[in-house]
Amino acid sequence: MNISQIKQLMISSLNPDADTNMVSGKLKEAGITYNFSPDFKDKVLDKLFTASSKINREVEFVKYMNFAFYRVALTGVAAIVVLLISIFFMEGSLSLNSFLGLSDNYNESIVCLLTGK
Amino acid sequence: MINESYVVAEEKELVNASLSGDKRAFGEIVSRYQRMVARTVKGMLGDSVFAEDIGQEVFIKLFYSLKEFRGESKLSTYIQKIAVNLTLNEIKRRKRFFSMFSQKANNEMFEFEIADNDTEERKEASEIVNKALLAMDPKFRIILTMRMLQGYSTKETAEILELPIGTVLSRLSRAQEQLRNILIKL
Repeated sequence: MNISQIKQLMISSLNPDADTNMVSGKLKEAGITYNFSPDFKDKVLDKLFTASSKINREVEFVKYMNFAFYRVALTGVAAIVVLLISIFFMEGSLSLNSFLGLSDNYNESIVCLLTGK
Repeated sequence: MINESYVVAEEKELVNASLSGDKRAFGEIVSRYQRMVARTVKGMLGDSVFAEDIGQEVFIKLFYSLKEFRGESKLSTYIQKIAVNLTLNEIKRRKRFFSMFSQKANNEMFEFEIADNDTEERKEASEIVNKALLAMDPKFRIILTMRMLQGYSTKETAEILELPIGTVLSRLSRAQEQLRNILIKL
């Protein structure tokens, strides 16, 4: 097929009632073909299935992190509650001084404590 | 369980198997439709390595949107729509990029490669077709690609491009006029 025939085919493919299957078939015969590289399918599958397994690993990691966070948070809250209860029983109140362990200290005793006199 | 006869499997079977994560079933879909996607993507963007990346994106997008495919249209039409959308988006992206960073003309944004093992006659034919395609306005180029390379009728072209038939008919006539002017110069 010469160049002018190819040009004519191209133009005729844009006629509303053109036999477009015939046009595309003739162009294929003339060497107008398109394809991807031979390993195209493998590249697509690698991207998809490697990516999805990576995503799965990430999702599992986040799930375990959430689980670990709840365990640590619950343990922490329980420890704080035990500490508050013990302070209350030892000091008789939950004031700031009780928290800081200053309830029985007077200025004089602090001076004694610090100077040793 | 992996089906050994996916080569002759029905579309629906392939879609269902792919949805359950069957790599071989989706591989069969890629094998069946990669030439069709190549015609659209390379016809629109030129026969370059960048077009291959868009081709891969088409199948990756297909994989993640398979659950939305209800089987009301053919799988090929569904894939073709994805290919057209991604290709047109890529053209817009390149236009933005080139308008900001390059002085190249619109038709220089695309390039094509011609196979070395072709005869001179086939190489020349390929060069004429690709040059003409890439010189066209993208909205006409997509019409020419659908008709000339894919062999779609006016109705099928309208369905894939999601345009009214009247719009496609008017674009056909304007595209033909533009193509004539381009081919005179080639």
